[in-house]
Amino acid sequence: MSVKYIPVQWNPNKYIYDAVMLLGVALFLYVFLYAAPGILSHERPINSQVHNARAFGACAFVMLTVILCIGPLARLDPRFLPLLYNRRHFGVMTVFVAITHAGYIVDWYFAFSSSNKYEALLFANTSYSQLAGFPFEVFGIFALFTLILLAATSHDFWMKFLSPPVWKRIHYLIYPAYLSVVAHVSFGILQDQQNHAFTVIFIGGAAAVGLLHLMAALKERGTDRTLLADSADWVHVCDTTEMKDGFAKIKLLANRERVAVYLNDGKLSAISNACAHQNGPLGEGQIIDCLVTCPWHGFQYDVTNGQSPAPFTEKIPTYNLKTDGTAVLVDARANPPGTYVEPVPAGVTS
Amino acid sequence: MSAKDRPFFVGYLPTPKALRGLLLAVCVLFVSGLAGFGLALGIAQDDPGEGAFRFDYGRQTVTGVVELTPYPLLRVTEGNDRIPAGHTLMLAGGGKTNVESRAIPLEGQLAQVSGVMLQRGDLDMLQLRGGRNGIQAAEGDAPQMETIPLGRWKLAGEICDGKCLAGAMRPGRGLAHKACANLCLLGKVPPVFVSTQPVDGSEFLLVTGPNGEHLPESAYHYVAQFVSLEGEVERRGDLLVLRLDPDTLEVLE
Repeated sequence: MSVKYIPVQWNPNKYIYDAVMLLGVALFLYVFLYAAPGILSHERPINSQVHNARAFGACAFVMLTVILCIGPLARLDPRFLPLLYNRRHFGVMTVFVAITHAGYIVDWYFAFSSSNKYEALLFANTSYSQLAGFPFEVFGIFALFTLILLAATSHDFWMKFLSPPVWKRIHYLIYPAYLSVVAHVSFGILQDQQNHAFTVIFIGGAAAVGLLHLMAALKERGTDRTLLADSADWVHVCDTTEMKDGFAKIKLLANRERVAVYLNDGKLSAISNACAHQNGPLGEGQIIDCLVTCPWHGFQYDVTNGQSPAPFTEKIPTYNLKTDGTAVLVDARANPPGTYVEPVPAGVTS
Repeated sequence: MSAKDRPFFVGYLPTPKALRGLLLAVCVLFVSGLAGFGLALGIAQDDPGEGAFRFDYGRQTVTGVVELTPYPLLRVTEGNDRIPAGHTLMLAGGGKTNVESRAIPLEGQLAQVSGVMLQRGDLDMLQLRGGRNGIQAAEGDAPQMETIPLGRWKLAGEICDGKCLAGAMRPGRGLAHKACANLCLLGKVPPVFVSTQPVDGSEFLLVTGPNGEHLPESAYHYVAQFVSLEGEVERRGDLLVLRLDPDTLEVLE
């Protein structure tokens, strides 16, 4: 949360996150570039430019694969949410690694001719009508420019400027970008490789991304089925006896919006489940210091009015609610963001 | 574990004690995993072969007769320890360039060439120095050079750019290298066909168009693939030249 934009709001957890990430990346590159050649029994070494390009390209693929595993992993088990917290730094670092890969490729394979190397990248191979020998470079170009776009717009300024829904849609481009990377590798180095260790790691990585997303989607579909409410003006959410102070119950309304009903100091309040920051699931958060705290990035809201505490300005919709005996009912029509709603004492008919 | 008992992580607050063990294990797994992948992927690279620039041989200077196929060749008449008389050298410029503008005026004449060798087994090429230092007319009359027709052949193998194949790049062939190979061929670097079966004792053949022109552009789509093709083969010294019939090109499984 911030009231002014600064490049990075550092805190100890971000320092640790980045240090571990950089250590992993540095070790990957060091081992690939300096330890592996000693084990290879090649009569003459691979050109250093090709070797560097491969190291950075393989590293970018592994990093992107890990990044894409974090989201579904955190959805399957919330204990992995800390990995999500500073994922954007991981993504930005991946872009720098991918740009380095592209730089080595362009400065080696597409240099030394009388043509401009960037133009040569586009015209040297035009066999678009065939699978074998397809110009796989175009997949890499698409993926690289997409990743650059995502990294360039990763800051919260852009989310505010573009609005969270637009920003989120743009950042879903990570999936076409990853598919493009998979195609780039499949039509490129995979076609030439005689040693199948790379193939196994590559397929394993891509399959892990696909499988984790499938598992997370199936879990969410199952959860949605149990949360989905019938179309009604007042929707039954849960029983007050099921609620725990400081925690929420989530309901999926017929209009596909999620509402989070919190019990705070014996009183009930309902807010939108979507955090104004990145649509994080507020109902899976907790109340800390009297404020609902998002489990993704720690954005906080007053549960009675959906407003972030001053000086912050984020607002989310609130919902009217009532109780009927011990049943908690919520009005399916959301109030405008930031609307105060008097908390309802739990277990008292209003 | 109920939601109430579950440790709750907030980025700007200290990490809950209940999560520290798991996160430490994830950190160790992540760092060691990346190092492991770096090693596994690093040692999974194929041998690029023995081809290389032979800077260790030093600058090579030999004399011979210039021929154009249209790719420039030198039929060596006065060689040295590395390049014997009777050998046929393919000639290339620096990078992805050719030396045709310098070789054409000397066609059929005796010339002295100078440069650095590229060598992969029986395949070699000379990258000439710039200007007249690389190729210049030599004193004396050019002897008549024989070209022996070997008839029409059907071959299987790969069309490569001869310079990368000979060692300018390691690796210098294959589908991942196709765009680079095409760029070399567009620069009129001599194309070389690597045959799966030796032809008259050689597995490397210089490739030209069917009527002695440059490699037809239609053949570029087949570069770096395993193909079958037909064409007339002729021997020029110890080098075979394949006049490719592009209509016979076919991708093999």
